[in-house]
Amino acid sequence: MDLWQLLLTLAVAGSSDAFSGSEDSSGNPKFTKCRSPELETFSCHWTDGANHSLQSPGSVQMFYIRRDIQEWKECPDYVSAGENSCYFNSSYTSVWTPYCIKLTSNGGIVDHKCFSVEDIVQPDPPVGLNWTLLNISLTEIHADILVKWEPPPNTDVKMGWIILEYELHYKELNETQWKMMDPLMVTSVPMYSLRLDKEYEVRVRTRQRNTEKYGKFSEVLLITFPQMNPSACEEDFQFPWFLIIIFGILGLAVTLFLLIFSKQQRIKMLILPPVPVPKIKGIDPDLLKEGKLEEVNTILAIHDNYKHEFYNDDSWVEFIELDIDDPDEKTEGSDTDRLLSNDHEKSLNIFGAKDDDSGRTSCYEPDILEADFHVSDMCDGTSEVAQPQRLKGEADISCLDQKNQNNSPSNDAAPASQQPSVILVEENKPRPLLIGGTESTHQAVHTQLSNPSSLANIDFYAQVSDITPAGNVVLSPGQKNKTGNPQCDTHPEVVTPCQANFIVDNAYFCEVDAKKYIALAPHVEAESHVEPSFNQEDIYTTTESLTTTAGRSGTAEHVPSSEIPVPDYTSIHIVQSPQGLVLNATALPLPDKEFLSSCGYVSTDQLNKIMP
Amino acid sequence: MDSKGSSQKGSRLLLLLVVSNLLLCQGVVSTPVCPNGPGNCQVSLRDLFDRAVMVSHYIHDLSSEMFNEFDKRYAQGKGFITMALNSCHTSSLPTPEDKEQAQQTHHEVLMSLILGLLRSWNDPLYHLVTEVRGMKGAPDAILSRAIEIEEENKRLLEGMEMIFGQVIPGAKETEPYPVWSGLPSLQTKDEDARYSAFYNLLHCLRRDSSKIDTYLKLLNCRIIYNNNC
Repeated sequence: MDLWQLLLTLAVAGSSDAFSGSEDSSGNPKFTKCRSPELETFSCHWTDGANHSLQSPGSVQMFYIRRDIQEWKECPDYVSAGENSCYFNSSYTSVWTPYCIKLTSNGGIVDHKCFSVEDIVQPDPPVGLNWTLLNISLTEIHADILVKWEPPPNTDVKMGWIILEYELHYKELNETQWKMMDPLMVTSVPMYSLRLDKEYEVRVRTRQRNTEKYGKFSEVLLITFPQMNPSACEEDFQFPWFLIIIFGILGLAVTLFLLIFSKQQRIKMLILPPVPVPKIKGIDPDLLKEGKLEEVNTILAIHDNYKHEFYNDDSWVEFIELDIDDPDEKTEGSDTDRLLSNDHEKSLNIFGAKDDDSGRTSCYEPDILEADFHVSDMCDGTSEVAQPQRLKGEADISCLDQKNQNNSPSNDAAPASQQPSVILVEENKPRPLLIGGTESTHQAVHTQLSNPSSLANIDFYAQVSDITPAGNVVLSPGQKNKTGNPQCDTHPEVVTPCQANFIVDNAYFCEVDAKKYIALAPHVEAESHVEPSFNQEDIYTTTESLTTTAGRSGTAEHVPSSEIPVPDYTSIHIVQSPQGLVLNATALPLPDKEFLSSCGYVSTDQLNKIMP
Repeated sequence: MDSKGSSQKGSRLLLLLVVSNLLLCQGVVSTPVCPNGPGNCQVSLRDLFDRAVMVSHYIHDLSSEMFNEFDKRYAQGKGFITMALNSCHTSSLPTPEDKEQAQQTHHEVLMSLILGLLRSWNDPLYHLVTEVRGMKGAPDAILSRAIEIEEENKRLLEGMEMIFGQVIPGAKETEPYPVWSGLPSLQTKDEDARYSAFYNLLHCLRRDSSKIDTYLKLLNCRIIYNNNC
């Protein structure tokens, strides 16, 4: 290893010169490159130096050393590779063995280099470049050819000792820039769509796969096609795009001008449709056009007012007024008085309100049972519009009411303290009963009927005795101690459609409120009976009315006294009998808001407060 | 070593399976590569060689790139001409050094040489990956290539063992392969010495991957194409 250590020293000493590649200002010979064309031999070349003339020609020497031959040897062949070169034939070449060479001039080392043979492979150019015609297009304008070549003869590709990669360049004869194809491993490549009337040049070079350096280019091959037909190859027809565009624009412009300025309204409408004017349903657009704003405002106002009425807090009261469409109603005083007064006809009118549609539609809301004030209000209001179905529903309610009354003792404690919760609780209970069928209601009614006590004197609710074909409900006259379960029995078969259910629910909802009062009053109220005179009207008695009266009477055994002329029907909140007003402030705490919101009916006191 | 023994036993089993398949169907030149799973097919020798040549070419590419990257980053100007000084651990293998020698080497010998080279690089590659990871500021280019080479080396070893089993049925006992002992120099505290060790190792890897690549191509042309590539 002594020689190797010496070599290392030399290398370190001369490394800057050897690898920097900087020009040697002293004019000494330097290695230019070492190259192996086929991985079997290699040769190294050097420059002669600037002032070679001063030196004797034979003073430059090259030595090499290999790891396995640990001594410097002089170049075996200075001639074969040309001047200033050293050629190592296959016997001197050992692949994968590190070589180091040095150049001496007059005994002094001027350059040295280390390498391995597999790193300096740079093949010779391919040979035998030629082409053959593959086919010609039908138009006789283009042709496909196949370009072939042979690997450099000194490379042994057959044995697989060296694997070559080729790169083809081509261009038209009059072009300056070569185009290159992707590297190939095969020695032939097709070229497509060459023009028959042009000439092409190709050249190819190669390198060993896995290395970077390409060898030199092969000779350039010229490709010319023999003239097949002297017929004039017409050039591609240049479509006169320019002219077409110009004329097209002109024509379009002329047409547009004609249209715009023409008197033909029809075509004009077709091309340039007019801008639509705003339309409001129910309002004559002419009104808008002509600027009659007052009429428009009134029209709109009517709608607004009507809606506004519904959603008022006192809608119960207000609703009545609306139904009558009589503004005077408001001034008549509380509804209590109204109902108590003899003009119950008028009251009937109130409840026999027209305009079913508005309320009814709202009553068709699916989620009625929510504690929605508005919904319940409207339903209450519309429920006032007596419908045969509604009455049936009420009948059910009244039946149900009986059942509730049965349950009432258990709820004595609750309602007093927590009204809202009771509402909710009771709400849930009767509901399924209602939906379940009328059987339960029948039972409820029976029980209810079994306790027709103090209410005998009062007709807080009416018994439906019959329903006329016209759809009116025939109510029994206001009687006491009406036995039987007419309500539940007579009309068990009346199927309540959605509407009734809705009403029922709504009434139910309010009924719940009433029930709490019923709870207070253990006694069961007898069914009140509605007088047949109600037939003409579309009346209904809400369960509330029925129950509230009972409830009211619950505070004391005294039923809403008969001394007070009770109207044939009552509405919940108007339940009468001043002293019998279940919603007696003393009996129950009055969470006004809750009370109002829960059922939509007001106690007399509240009514008085609300109504000026 | 035990793991290597067991892996060799497993490869031997595979070899037997492949050999039995080969003996059963002698006339098949080329069949699809294992359409029904590895246990029930026969991979043709041509496909095996094609695959092996591809992998060895890939390994050579990677190792060249890795060496160049390392040279650029850590060895410039430091005069790591240690390739002249230090020999590779696989130098003891009697590999042919030129074309005539390779032509005269029997393909059995050539294949066992290839196998020896591949096996002897398993350990150094593993440690190379570990140590490059620990090298401060090691660029991802070097580390990723080291990891890739380690995987591909294992793959090529398996393939070569299959080829060996097919070309030489009744394979004999495995030849011992050179063991690498350069780990301490890779882990030395002296940074220059460590870099020098890395340089040397990468240079040896490049050289040996070139050898393997050339020998495989030689075998491919000789066995599959009958010296008429």
